[in-house]
Amino acid sequence: MNHIDLLHGLVKIYSPSTQERAVSDYLVAQMRALGFRAFVDDVGNAVGILGDGARDVVLLGHIDTFHGFIEPRIADGKLYGRGSVDAKGCLATFVSACARVGARDGVRFVVIGAVEEECATSKGARFAITQYRPDFCIIGEPSGWDRITLGYKGRVLVDYEIAQAMTHTASATRPPAEEAIAFWNRLTAFAAEYNRDKPRVFDQLDPSLRAINTNDDGFTDRVAMRIGVRVPMGLTIAQVENDIAQFADGARVEFSSEEEPFRAEKNNALVRAFLSAIRGAGGSPAFTVKTGTADMNIAGPAWQCPIVAYGPGDSALDHTPNEHLDLAEYARAIDVLARVLAVL
Amino acid sequence: MTANCPECEAEITLAKPIRGEIVVCPDCGVELEVTSESPLAFDLAPEEEEDWGE
Repeated sequence: MNHIDLLHGLVKIYSPSTQERAVSDYLVAQMRALGFRAFVDDVGNAVGILGDGARDVVLLGHIDTFHGFIEPRIADGKLYGRGSVDAKGCLATFVSACARVGARDGVRFVVIGAVEEECATSKGARFAITQYRPDFCIIGEPSGWDRITLGYKGRVLVDYEIAQAMTHTASATRPPAEEAIAFWNRLTAFAAEYNRDKPRVFDQLDPSLRAINTNDDGFTDRVAMRIGVRVPMGLTIAQVENDIAQFADGARVEFSSEEEPFRAEKNNALVRAFLSAIRGAGGSPAFTVKTGTADMNIAGPAWQCPIVAYGPGDSALDHTPNEHLDLAEYARAIDVLARVLAVL
Repeated sequence: MTANCPECEAEITLAKPIRGEIVVCPDCGVELEVTSESPLAFDLAPEEEEDWGE
């Protein structure tokens, strides 16, 4: 099976979060055919191991996708389909590059197709960090074939809720919906103050209002609001939660889906190998940092080893109906990664 | 070994340079990449961009 058939096969099998088993089984079968020792682990991750030795290189991708099936097709040198960019293209790059390099003395390549990256549980990555202690880690997320991702912002979800006995609308009492809006305004003003003199989005505290719902049963007036907050390096989730709690003014505020921001180091053998490999493949390397979150937020702090995120594709296409991967870029990324794996 | 910063021409000395190593020019603060160990040579390090992505 060639690299295009592998990716096409992965994309054909719809695998939104929590529904990954069929595609995990498929990937395990393909990796076995390529010489990996492959299995589905206790939480459903597809794992393939190539080689044996004291040095572990973990290539941690994810096998689930955003929801919404897109009929796979190849047209004009591009493969269209859900997950083609985010992030089955990266996972197929990992498998293809490892297979091209083959088993090396003293090195073990561990490819992981993790489950539930696209939902807040990150179940696959959280299990993986308990199973391995790699010397190098590459996260499978689209960076573009000639770029290396070094960091992701953190995130916390805020659920705000307030209820009070109903009053007549002509009374002077402020209804819960207005309390909620006042909370939102305090939060955005706080973020604006923090973001002063920080032109890069990566450095900014960024709240976004995801949902607001009001209801009453004739006796009690309620409002519930969900806010996502993207957290920059330099702040911890605990700090942000403490600040937000002070704006609650008697409302119930709960936090969930916490991910600390993470930024990897540049000065290590992994980054140097990527810089050299991208130049060797005819590119001009660049670094990038992302304003979202990824499994790097989990693996980076846990493993404390050289780590980057890498994979072909334009992340602007993530989660879009037009999601597609340029197959020439996919081939270039396999070439770059094979060069990296050959020297680690 | 010594070479000049391509940005401000300051002299920079490294005891054990490694090809691909990123260093910061002590004079102008720009990030530099070691592109040759012997003779020592620097180029501007790859730029850091940012974009949306999860």
